[in-house]
Amino acid sequence: MRASELDAMRDEAPGREAFALPILFLTVALLGGLRFAADGSGFRFVPPPVISLVLAMLLVSVLVRGRRLVPQRLMGSHRTALQNLSGAVVLGTLVGASAQVFNSIAPDAGLLHLIVNTFLLVLLWNTLAAGPRAGRLLHSLLVLLGSAFVLKFIVLAALYAPDGGWTKRFVTTVLEGVTLGTLDYEPQAPLAGYIAFGLLLLYVIGLVLLPGDPPTFPSGEVRRLEAGGSDADRLESPVP
Amino acid sequence: MRASVIRVAGLACAVCYGAFIVWLYGQQPRTISQITGKIRAEVGAYRIDDAAFAEGRRFFGTDQFAEARIAFARADPARQDATVQFYVAYSYYREGWGRLYHDDRLYRAGLEALDAAEALSPNHGVRVDDPTLQMATSTELRAELDRGIAKDASDLNPLKVFRTRK
Repeated sequence: MRASELDAMRDEAPGREAFALPILFLTVALLGGLRFAADGSGFRFVPPPVISLVLAMLLVSVLVRGRRLVPQRLMGSHRTALQNLSGAVVLGTLVGASAQVFNSIAPDAGLLHLIVNTFLLVLLWNTLAAGPRAGRLLHSLLVLLGSAFVLKFIVLAALYAPDGGWTKRFVTTVLEGVTLGTLDYEPQAPLAGYIAFGLLLLYVIGLVLLPGDPPTFPSGEVRRLEAGGSDADRLESPVP
Repeated sequence: MRASVIRVAGLACAVCYGAFIVWLYGQQPRTISQITGKIRAEVGAYRIDDAAFAEGRRFFGTDQFAEARIAFARADPARQDATVQFYVAYSYYREGWGRLYHDDRLYRAGLEALDAAEALSPNHGVRVDDPTLQMATSTELRAELDRGIAKDASDLNPLKVFRTRK
């Protein structure tokens, strides 16, 4: 709690908390539901399905468990009402952005929607159970989100490309036949992949900027600081 | 003090941006021109292109429905004018009408345009005073489109070939 008390005293990085994080997460929330028709007939905004909200809550739990996000540094009795409101906005936009990230990287309907979301749910649950620390957690999330992105915007996009050759048509027809037509994948314009990549990047930057655990220090350093160093000095000398 | 100002400004920005996103998802625009048109309509600055509308009505009167709809789309790019959308719906009705059968796809498109027209009208009903139209209200047009889509025993009535297009 010492770090959060220090934040309250110094009101550390109000710009990051009031501007950078909400704007980043809101932009992700805006772009996450954007779909471009493959025939170029325009775009539409798809709100997140319930499963995306469930996955978002699970992801936030994982972030808290891994100390990548320390809620006490955003809200608590040691902060003023304005600081708490600002922190609540960050948490709210984080949940919204997380839901829209899952909405973006999972197929919209059909059997693939079910399979991908089930895998994401199981993997997130597994990550929650394993409880990795902040660094490894971010790595794990990158793998999780990145692989879902590759599946939808590279593998499936290539398979269902309108200008695909006979081999692609054969493979997709066989897949549709084997699954009794339940795949129901709707191809999107190539621009959708670039936008999804950008929003994933923004989301990860947002996760990095979240107020997490302060860096840890070797016991010798702590003893030295306790003997004469200030809290500010302590925060500025992380372990390499 | 400076930190408080930053926080208040940040909150205001986040609320405005969030409201804009909710508005976008609620309005479901399909193109950038629809977004700008809807924003202009919200502030009361939206005007249709009268010349394009007149051109659309001219095409409509000569049964050139595809051309008419292109002109109507140019006249009302954001689909924010109830009268123009009523004409769009009417063009789908007239194009889809047949003596032996009606084109369900065009009738459904007509109903979609009529939904948009009625949603834009304050009392959810559109009235167009045009002597060349036999149906002057959205209620009559909707009933006609609904009857065209419905499948019932009257479809087998041979006398229906004597019906006329409105």
